[in-house]
Amino acid sequence: MEFLTVYMNLLPASLAQGAVYAFVALGVMIPFRLLNLPDLTAEGSFPLGAAVAAALISSGWGIVPAMAWALLAGSLAGALTALIHLVFKVTSLLAGIIVLTMLFSLNIRVMGQPNTALFSHDTLFTVLLDADGGTPITQFAVLCVLLTVLCAALFWYLHTEAGLALRAVGANQMMARAQGLSTWRYVIAGLAVAGALAATGGAVMAQLQSYADVNMGVGVLMIGLAATILGEALFGSHTIARQILAPVLGALVYFQIVAVALSLGLRPSDLKLLTGLFVLLALAVPMVKARFRRAPSPSKSEPRP
Amino acid sequence: MTTGTVQDGVHVSDLHKTFFAGTVQEKQALNGVSFSLSPGEFAVVVGSNGAGKSTTLNAIAGELSVDSGSVLVDGDDLTRLPAHKRARYMSRVFQDPMQGTAASLTIEENLAISARRGQPRGFRSALRAVDVETFRTALEALGLGLENRMKDRVALLSGGQRQSLTLAMATLKRPRLLLLDEHTAALDPRAAELVIDATLKTVAGGEITTLMITHNMDHAIRHGDRLLMMHEGRVILDLDKHDKQGVTAADLVERFHDAVSDRMLLN
Repeated sequence: MEFLTVYMNLLPASLAQGAVYAFVALGVMIPFRLLNLPDLTAEGSFPLGAAVAAALISSGWGIVPAMAWALLAGSLAGALTALIHLVFKVTSLLAGIIVLTMLFSLNIRVMGQPNTALFSHDTLFTVLLDADGGTPITQFAVLCVLLTVLCAALFWYLHTEAGLALRAVGANQMMARAQGLSTWRYVIAGLAVAGALAATGGAVMAQLQSYADVNMGVGVLMIGLAATILGEALFGSHTIARQILAPVLGALVYFQIVAVALSLGLRPSDLKLLTGLFVLLALAVPMVKARFRRAPSPSKSEPRP
Repeated sequence: MTTGTVQDGVHVSDLHKTFFAGTVQEKQALNGVSFSLSPGEFAVVVGSNGAGKSTTLNAIAGELSVDSGSVLVDGDDLTRLPAHKRARYMSRVFQDPMQGTAASLTIEENLAISARRGQPRGFRSALRAVDVETFRTALEALGLGLENRMKDRVALLSGGQRQSLTLAMATLKRPRLLLLDEHTAALDPRAAELVIDATLKTVAGGEITTLMITHNMDHAIRHGDRLLMMHEGRVILDLDKHDKQGVTAADLVERFHDAVSDRMLLN
């Protein structure tokens, strides 16, 4: 079984990779699910986080401040998308595209070049593991600890008064206003948190591969979305705990599917086609199901992307 | 009379609103709406479609900005405040049962949102045991058994149940003004009666200043201390509790025609 050997070789690395993209998937889940506001900024905030972290680490900064600045930069990118959407009444999708396009130039400015190597610098993984940055399995373990802390924090936040208010704004803006909630405040806060998560993912990715590249964001939104949809299908989304775990576990499962596809002989360059087809399928299934139902009633809610 | 009593209550003065100004669709929705409610008063608003009833309510709630005029509650000028800041003063129940509640949140979460209407939201736990007991009491008062379903998503409730919940949310924290926008119009007759009963139980104590729009003449005559009739963006008839006594639907229609023809003569 050559396939199995190839897959077993890919397994540790695919787990580590899935864990990194779990940050992005969380950052995609928040606007799409909690705020009901589709947002593409992750494509720009992921490489932004990588660029900021790489630029700072390569110029001698410590890992913690470098990652803090990456997180802050990502939250600003998310807040900017929110403001463009709110102030100029631009759809959130277009607002995100505007921001991610601008971030491409900005990311090159941040690094001073289109990419930055970190091979001769300490990273999260060389500090915590060994001089080589550990093995994929130990890297995965480190990422699991980070993700656990993050999920716990998110779980706590969404059960506070402010977190519940954010969910109410996402569920029904009219009701939210009538109950005294500033929809602006919570849309800005939600997209800022989403941007911070995507940027943290980028900062971790740059350290994992000791390399940041301005193009590393291409396709991350679809990966995050695919992970969220997959996780929700497998683990459900009816409680906050499940809604938080779905994108994380979904990302891990998604990269196992990727590893299987690669071991079956697909090229890495085929993966974006595969991801697109998967998301398309996930969106099409409820529609097709509804059409085959006996008395087709026009559904009141939009199909969730 | 002290200045305090003059200012207390709700004062709506000379609201004007024109939609699509300067175009062929120009529509004068509010044409000088004025009225005052004293504290605790329960006023019912009637009028034909397009009379400006809902527009008036939306203008008071801040969902709609007016061209001129002012809205004062207990002496505070709310005219320039956005809707979410006016929520400190007032609460609303909408015509559409979907609008007043968040379907994807549970019953207790919806109540928790309304428990802090008009107050800052911090990082305290949203559902505390002491609050949940308050919610249970509020739900028990509705008599629908919702107190046993507090962890159910609101999406599972019927229109009447959702409207009753919205009412409970609107009055959980006592508002200085309660706005009811034809809140039974989208319900079946039985559910509508249930919601009206719950409304009367909540409001009739004379504690909450209330403005209720209705299409139901019978409700308008039977309930409330005050009856306002609107036509073409104005209040054309204003009956107090005493004037309302013994009035029938036929009388109201006649008074409506009188008021309209008077105005036509004056114009």
